[in-house]
Amino acid sequence: MASSRGASVVLSRANRIKSKLQTALEATVLELDDVSYQHAGHAAMKQNPSDNQETHFNLNIVSPKFEGQTLVKRHRMVYDLLADELSSGLHALSIVAKTPHETTTTTTASK
Amino acid sequence: MAAAYLSNILFKGIASRSLSTPLTGSCYYGMRYLNTVSNDPDTHDDFKPANKHESSGISLADVVEKDVKDNPVMIYMKGVPDFPQCGFSSLAVRVLKHYDVPLSARNILEDPELKSAVKAFSHWPTFPQIFIKGEFVGGSDIILNMHQNGELKEKLKDIKSKQ
Repeated sequence: MASSRGASVVLSRANRIKSKLQTALEATVLELDDVSYQHAGHAAMKQNPSDNQETHFNLNIVSPKFEGQTLVKRHRMVYDLLADELSSGLHALSIVAKTPHETTTTTTASK
Repeated sequence: MAAAYLSNILFKGIASRSLSTPLTGSCYYGMRYLNTVSNDPDTHDDFKPANKHESSGISLADVVEKDVKDNPVMIYMKGVPDFPQCGFSSLAVRVLKHYDVPLSARNILEDPELKSAVKAFSHWPTFPQIFIKGEFVGGSDIILNMHQNGELKEKLKDIKSKQ
């Protein structure tokens, strides 16, 4: 894992996440922000300071496949698709998961 | 660290009464099932049973099951409610403190085996994890969302308030 970092042939985790989610969920919106730097100092990260890259992301995803699913289900769908990443250093994902319908009808409190 | 400190300040502003109130006793810092082994000066690692919980007949899965059954609001988090060690755990606690309900917590940073047991129990990969009336509700994003849309209030309304 560590040895692959920086090698240009290896896709970044962010790119892998995007492509996995895009393919499976046919997302109409897919925004992924790497916020790992915000967590570089916290307890779990201190145990492994060399692994502070691409550990924390904010995900904003809109997918028709979320239609009729509870939030827990939607998050599970995302987590299931990213199981490999979660077991290889992806530490946290803050998820906003909406259906195309919800994005046109709801006004979000944040931004 | 700075974030945790900051969130404590925020959180004092919101619910200062909760900070000084002891949380439901046995679960808070609740390592009761570990005490039988690790606090005994006569034991040595070599003599520990392979599964340290076996001797008491309680597996960690049972501990989790009992936690979520016995505690109307149970959170597995990083750190403790008045000193969360992760922004997400901090956020979840802050949200739950808006409600006058007893909050029971376990610090999964203290026990990697408990951490695994909770993940296996809920089939959810990250922390915090919140259970209300025995039901897994999700992590910090979901609890915040439920708070904002009124669902959380509805869910917690029949839980009797703490003393």
